[in-house]
Amino acid sequence: MRVNEVRTGSLSLPGTDLVRLVIIAVLAILCIATSAASFASGILAIITSQLFFIPIIYAAYVSPRKGLYVAATCSLAYQTIGYFYSFPSPVSLVSITGEAILFIVIAAIIAYFMERIQSGELKYRTVFENSQLGILLFNDADFSIKQSNEKFAAMLNYTVDEVMTKFLLDMFLSPREKSRFLERFGKEKTTSDFETRLAAKDGSSCWVNLSWGQISVGTVSCSVVNINARKLAEKLNNDNMMKYRQLTEGSPTSILIVQNGFIRFANPSFVAFVEYSPAEITGKSLSAFIEPGNLDDFNKFSEKWAQKYPAKHAKEFRFVSKTGEVKVGSLFTNQVIHMGNPATLVNIVDITEKQRLEDQIHKDNERRRGVIVTVAHELRTPLQPILGYLNLLLSDADGFGIKEDTKKILERCLTSVDRERQIINQMLDLSVLESGKLQLTTSTFPLAPLVRNVLDAGEFAAKAELTVNIEDSIQVTGDKERLFSVLDSLLSNAVNFSKPPRKIGIFYRSAVGDRQHHISIRDNGVGIPQDQFSSIFEPFQLADGTVLSRKYERLGLSLSIAKNIVQMHGGSISVESVVNAGSTFTIHLPKEEIHHDA
Amino acid sequence: MTRKIMLVEDDQPILDMMDILLRRIGYEPVLVPDVLDALERVKSDPPALILLDIMMTPMNGWEFLEKLRTEYNIRDLPVILFTASPSVEERIALMKDPYLGVLQKPVSIPELKAGLEKFLGKPE
Repeated sequence: MRVNEVRTGSLSLPGTDLVRLVIIAVLAILCIATSAASFASGILAIITSQLFFIPIIYAAYVSPRKGLYVAATCSLAYQTIGYFYSFPSPVSLVSITGEAILFIVIAAIIAYFMERIQSGELKYRTVFENSQLGILLFNDADFSIKQSNEKFAAMLNYTVDEVMTKFLLDMFLSPREKSRFLERFGKEKTTSDFETRLAAKDGSSCWVNLSWGQISVGTVSCSVVNINARKLAEKLNNDNMMKYRQLTEGSPTSILIVQNGFIRFANPSFVAFVEYSPAEITGKSLSAFIEPGNLDDFNKFSEKWAQKYPAKHAKEFRFVSKTGEVKVGSLFTNQVIHMGNPATLVNIVDITEKQRLEDQIHKDNERRRGVIVTVAHELRTPLQPILGYLNLLLSDADGFGIKEDTKKILERCLTSVDRERQIINQMLDLSVLESGKLQLTTSTFPLAPLVRNVLDAGEFAAKAELTVNIEDSIQVTGDKERLFSVLDSLLSNAVNFSKPPRKIGIFYRSAVGDRQHHISIRDNGVGIPQDQFSSIFEPFQLADGTVLSRKYERLGLSLSIAKNIVQMHGGSISVESVVNAGSTFTIHLPKEEIHHDA
Repeated sequence: MTRKIMLVEDDQPILDMMDILLRRIGYEPVLVPDVLDALERVKSDPPALILLDIMMTPMNGWEFLEKLRTEYNIRDLPVILFTASPSVEERIALMKDPYLGVLQKPVSIPELKAGLEKFLGKPE
């Protein structure tokens, strides 16, 4: 049986509808004529009635509905003729009526069965033809293909006719695939999900999934699913994974590919980081590894990944490893395409140790600050009687009977007490600055009046020849009081490290488009060797007993404090100097408003 | 108006020195080395101003101040914290007490005079 025969309907007889209609009509008319003749002659009237079954059965067979029409027509004609000739014999009339009813009953019975047969056939045909599965029937002895649908033929670029001439065993891509199939077929007469490769007409490979079962003696029905796309995707996936693996294997950074929140790939570093096995990681949600207390923040962060412009900056999160250890990771993310879909490449730098050290340093600093505060208190308390008594004696030297040279000694003592008091205050200032706990009180104000105030308060005009070049229009933004102390420190140093005739210049410059103010203080003092430029800003660097430190001891902590204050403003202090010619300290202060964390 | 300055301070050398100093600049010092006596002394012999050390036992300067202001309801008696402890200014600013000031030890005669005159005015 050929498939094209199946398509036109194996149960219908040859010929077009019109031809059949003519045949039925002719047969019916012949029956009516024969029947009329036999009634008229009175011979064989009962037998001729049986002739009507020929057109009725034929019509019902061709089309169940037409069969009924023909039966009804024949029944009417037969009754009319019968009544006409047999009237008024009651036996004949009953017999004719019974015969006419029988026509319709027979037609109805045939129509009923034909309808059922045809709808079953239709169903079978529909399934076979429209199936997305390839379907074929083959002989289980020689594997010749008995029947195939279009889908199977098209899968391998054959026509149905071409497939029908083939043997299934010749269609496998390789002898190995063939023997695998034979092995499986020998073991299981009914099976599903046998994946193999068939050869297409051009010899190319086609991955298929076969399921088969015996439907009758010698015949096996086999459904064929094309799984080429899936196999290709799997292969691509494997290739990609291999690439990722090679690229990321040696990286100390944890590298993940996350899609819709789920981990698609994780490198060995992440495995080591969370201490779970790769199987426990892949497919899991990344959030499953985040410490519960940190989850809300993480979810907010990960929601941004899908956005067109995700967060550029790294963010730190706490993870919990399999052993329950809390680890800190700094996350960097990038949008990538993975398997044709958007995904996020997540880099995690393990900063657990760094965080621990930072915490330790923070604690140590807090402790140090506590010590400094206590020490300052203890140092200041005994200074009070010394300062008080010195003040007392000097306030009324004559009254206390103090001679002029003794008074000078007492004055030197007072200077030292003052200096010690200042050093202790600076030490405290610095510890507050370094703890980051100091809050700036910022405002925008003109620079020139501030500089004038500093000069007046320190009576600098009496100590040096001053050149000030600051336009009145210059406005700066910052903590006025703190900047006052910075300028005062720099000017005091300029005085302290130069000998008369002192020349001190205060200059302002900032080009158009420059984002910083530059305020320079230049002296003609002793200067600073270049290799000491950075150390002069370091606290307690000057107490290391070198010649230089003795020379600069009066610097104390003022430069460290000044540097810290300017840094809090988002600026910096730089120094240029030539030994024995002078130094220039420049404050670089941002023009834009200062944003600082409390 | 009384020129009595009560000094609540547990450091003897400072008490000795301040006794002389305060007299010298025209005040009448009342020395209280034990903070527990101070509250009773304030009631029995009210001073014009209290100079109050902070780091004392068994009651520190802050606790004394709290008792004075709330328990004894003495709110307009000027108190100057006389302390070597750094960064008390912030805490003082938060208290918004118009009769509260601070002098950081060690304090010089001019600083002490200025601090007292801020609350008591210049002597006639």
